[in-house]
Amino acid sequence: MATEPQIYPSRRSRFEIRDNLWKWIFLVPAVAIILILLAVPVLWTLYAAFTDLHLYRIGDFETKFVGLANFEKLLSNRSFWRTARNTVVFMLGVVPTQLIIGLTVALALNNITRGQKLFRTWFLMPLMVSPVVVSFIVGRMLFQEDIGPINDILRSFGFDGVPWLTSPTWAMVALMAIDVWQWSSFMILMLLAALQGVPPDLHEAARVDGANQLQAFWRITVPLIMPITMTALLIRIIDAFKVVEIIMVLTGGGPGQATESVTLAIYRTGVKGGDLAFGSSQAYFLLIVLMIFGGAYLVLTRRAMGKD
Amino acid sequence: MGLAAQKRVRTIISYCILGFWSFILLFPMYWVVITSFKNAIDMSIKATYMPFIDFQPGLHAWRYLFVDRLTWFLDPFMNSVLVAFISSTVALVIGSSAGYALARFDYGGRNNSIVLGFMSQRMFPGALFILAFLVMFRELGLLDTRLALIIVYSSGAIPFIVWVMRDFFEGLPVEIEESAMIDGANRLGVLFRIAMPLAAPGLVAVFVLSLIGAWNEYLVALTLTFREAITIPLFMTMQVSQTGYTEWWNMSAISLVSVIPVVAAGMALEKYITGGLTFGALKG
Repeated sequence: MATEPQIYPSRRSRFEIRDNLWKWIFLVPAVAIILILLAVPVLWTLYAAFTDLHLYRIGDFETKFVGLANFEKLLSNRSFWRTARNTVVFMLGVVPTQLIIGLTVALALNNITRGQKLFRTWFLMPLMVSPVVVSFIVGRMLFQEDIGPINDILRSFGFDGVPWLTSPTWAMVALMAIDVWQWSSFMILMLLAALQGVPPDLHEAARVDGANQLQAFWRITVPLIMPITMTALLIRIIDAFKVVEIIMVLTGGGPGQATESVTLAIYRTGVKGGDLAFGSSQAYFLLIVLMIFGGAYLVLTRRAMGKD
Repeated sequence: MGLAAQKRVRTIISYCILGFWSFILLFPMYWVVITSFKNAIDMSIKATYMPFIDFQPGLHAWRYLFVDRLTWFLDPFMNSVLVAFISSTVALVIGSSAGYALARFDYGGRNNSIVLGFMSQRMFPGALFILAFLVMFRELGLLDTRLALIIVYSSGAIPFIVWVMRDFFEGLPVEIEESAMIDGANRLGVLFRIAMPLAAPGLVAVFVLSLIGAWNEYLVALTLTFREAITIPLFMTMQVSQTGYTEWWNMSAISLVSVIPVVAAGMALEKYITGGLTFGALKG
C-alpha cells in the first residue's frame, strides 16, 4: 500500500472517521445477508446429515445424532448411485456438445462483420427463457411421440418415430437436447468474447511465416482463448451437475429412474418425502463433487483478477 | 484458390453455420407461437406447420387466457412481477453498495478474497438450500409467502451484483468523486449522485439479469410456495399436471406471456446483458 501525504491532518482524520463508517455500512449488509442465507443453510444441512431429522416429526420427537449412518446408507443405496450416474452421463453429454457448437458458431460469428450484432442478440434469446418453459416447449411439444413435429418429420423421411419420452435412453437424449438448445448460447458468447480478444495481426504474422490456417488456429488462437474456455467449461460443468428443472417438467425422472438427477433425488427425498437427514447427506455428496470443480473455477477467477 | 476467393468461401460457410443455428433456436419459438393459435382438431391427427395453409388459426387460447380465466392467471402473474422487481431492487441497492465499497476502500488487502467469498456461492447446489430453507421458513411462518421468495432471490442475486459492480466502479475515474468530497459531499452522496449515475449501464445489466433470474426460478418456488404465492413457472407446471398435457394451445399462450417480457428486455439491452453474462471470463 502506498502511503498518502498527510496534508491536513485534522480535517483529514475527521473525514476519515466518517468515511470509515461508510466503508462498513456499504459492505456489511451484503456480507450479513450472504452469511445468514448461505452459511446457515450450509451448516444446518451438515448438521441434519448427521441426525435422523424428519420434516413431519420436527418438534414431536427428540432429534437423535446418528453419526455416519446417513452416509453409509447413501453409499450402499443403489437408487442414489443410479441418479449419480444419470447426472454424470447428462454432464458428459451436454458440456462437450455445447463446447463444439459454441466454438463452431463463435468462429463463424467472429468471421463476419455484417449482421454480427443481430446474430449475437438473437443467440441471447434462449438464455432468457425459463427452463420450465424450455422444457415444456422444446421437450413436451416438439418431442411429443404421436403428433410432435420431430417425429412427424422423421416419419416423412421414412424413419420410425422415436419413443422420446418412454425409452430410458431417448428420454436422456431429449433432456440433453433441451440443455444444449438453451445453454450453447452461453458458450457461443463466451468464446466469441475470447476470440475477439485475439489480436488479428498475431494471426496474420503466423500466416506470413508460412503457417497454414489450421496451424495458426492451433498455435495462436487456441492457447489465447484457453483461459476463457476453461472458465466457461467449469461454469457449465457445475451447472450441468445441478440439473433439475428441465427433468421435473419433461420426464419427472422417468421412465422409471432413468433420468432422475441427484438434485431431483434430493428434492424427492427431502422435500416431498420429508426425510431431511437423508436428503441432506445426498446434498453434501453433491456439494463435495461441485467443490472440486468450483475450486478450480475460483482459482482461475482469482488468477484473472490478479492480472489487472 | 486465391486469398480473396478463400475468404469468400469462409464467409459463406460462416453464414450457413449461423443461419442453421439461428433456425434451431427459432423453430421451438415458432412452434409455440403457432400452437397458441391452434384448435384441438389441428393437434389431434397429425402435426400442422403453417397457419392458414394446413390449419386455420383461432384466438380461443388467447381469449381463454385473457377473458375467461384472467383472474386465475393474474395472481401468479402479479406474484412473479412483485417478487422479481422487489428482490432485484433490494439486491441492486445492497449489492452495488458493497461492490462500490470493495472498489474504493481497502479492507486490509483482502478485497479480492471477499469478492471470491461472494462468488463461492455459485458452487453450492440449490439442493443444499431447499431443505434448509424449507425448515427455516416453516419455523418463521413464511411458507407460501412472497416475502420468502423475495428474501431468497435477493440473496441469490447479491454475489453476482457485487462481483460485476465492483469491477464496474473500479473502471470509473476516482477524481470526480474526490473533488466532490473536497467540496464537502459524504460517501453516500458520492455513491448515489456521482458513482451510480456513471455506472448506470452496469446497474441496468445486473438489474435485468437478476430480474430474469427471479422471474424464471423454479426449484425454490416449488419448495416454498404452493397456493397463494406461486409464481408463473410453478403455475404452469401445476396447470400441466392438472390437464395432463392436453391443452397445448393454452399452455403455449401462457408460455408466451411469461417469456416475451424477459426475452424482449434481454434482447433490447443486448450489449449490457452479454457483458454481464460473460463478465469475468473476459478479464482472463
